[in-house]
Amino acid sequence: MTKIQVMLGLAAVALAGGLVLALNAPIDALQGEFSRIMHLHVPASWLAFLAFGVTAVASIMWRIRRTRAWDRRAAASAEIGVLFTALSLATGSLWGGAVWGTYWDWADPRIATTALMFFVYLGYLALRSASPDAESAAARSSILGIIAVVQVPLVYFSVNMFRSLHQGQSIRPDGATMPGGMLVAMLVNVGVFTLVYFALLAARTDVMRQEEAARALEPAAGEAVRPPRFDEVPDV
Amino acid sequence: MSFWGQVIEFARRDLVAERRTGEVVAIVMPFGAVALMTLPFALTIDSALLSRVGPAMFWVVSLLFAMQIALRHSAADRPEHRAMLSLLGIDPFARLIGRAASSSLLVGLFMAVMFPLMVVFYSPDLPPGWPSALLPAALAALGLSLVGTLAAEVTAGLSGRTMLAPLIVAPLAIPLLVGGSQALESLPDNGGILPWTLLVAATDLALAVAGAVVARPLEEAAR
Repeated sequence: MTKIQVMLGLAAVALAGGLVLALNAPIDALQGEFSRIMHLHVPASWLAFLAFGVTAVASIMWRIRRTRAWDRRAAASAEIGVLFTALSLATGSLWGGAVWGTYWDWADPRIATTALMFFVYLGYLALRSASPDAESAAARSSILGIIAVVQVPLVYFSVNMFRSLHQGQSIRPDGATMPGGMLVAMLVNVGVFTLVYFALLAARTDVMRQEEAARALEPAAGEAVRPPRFDEVPDV
Repeated sequence: MSFWGQVIEFARRDLVAERRTGEVVAIVMPFGAVALMTLPFALTIDSALLSRVGPAMFWVVSLLFAMQIALRHSAADRPEHRAMLSLLGIDPFARLIGRAASSSLLVGLFMAVMFPLMVVFYSPDLPPGWPSALLPAALAALGLSLVGTLAAEVTAGLSGRTMLAPLIVAPLAIPLLVGGSQALESLPDNGGILPWTLLVAATDLALAVAGAVVARPLEEAAR
């Protein structure tokens, strides 16, 4: 069993544990069972921030070191980030529909800024796929990966900067705004999702490495055409 | 040649190319006018609603078509031309600023034509003192050109760049859209336009700083 398979296996077990904890955590008196979405929504949002942060760091490292491994990490992390941003938007929308009575509120700055962040990183992935080769993709996307990360603090602090339907931060310097059992379940799930992130990052990076190795073995255009060998032509 | 000499020369060259090809005046502007005309058909003929959404439609059209102006064919350099400029020791940031300057003039011209058309098509109730909103509009034109030029540079030489570049940068241009449109919206409520003008100016500044930082890596990426 490889290291990546072990990581994926551990992540799956941890996910199951996190799910059990989330289903047994205390619920909010007003929101009822809907408040359990928090144990999926908050970790998914945290993971998106982490993933885009790693993309920025790996992009900086690629610009310094120029090694393929850093570029693969940046791209893989962005893919995972986009996936979990979509999950965060979907769960947030469902939660909002149940609690606020609307699935989407344009007056909420965090929803709007998260959606913008999602589209910028979709653009990042589109830029990579449109580039003719790996080096060009790395050179172009590393610039975008560094610039785009400025959105992460903007999204995170948007609930403090503007008036909004969205609740503020749950953990503040003056203490947590939720009961202990609920907080523990949420923090454990944040940890579990972080483990899932690193497992997915390792797996996706490895798949990218194998794809690049396979592409390197493919014959280049023209290699399949053999020059004529006149010594093979029979005398007539 | 000095840095600013290079900037002026690049801007002049782009404007001369535009005068010869007429890409913005003959193609983008009529297309923008058609875009402004399509919404009333989709909304049915509701004069009150059209009057309300007219300024917003003007800003959406300005944002989307500013990208087309920045990505115009006459402002795209071929790889060999880029290589020659690089060998001549041209500052990549001067090229970027020169290109953004010429695009700003063209985006400003585009907006100057679209605004009266919007007034004719949508009959919005423009608040007294609406000319004061021209300053944030001009700053927004500059920002839209900067963001469009950056997108054009990131996607230089790629197939499908005319679709790809707006996808990458249109979300980054939202502060310009918000600042430019809200400056006009804030006038009837006696709200000051200063915060919105500052938002647009700060975004312009951030984009210019980003351009200065990434100009050289972009030059390398586009080779």
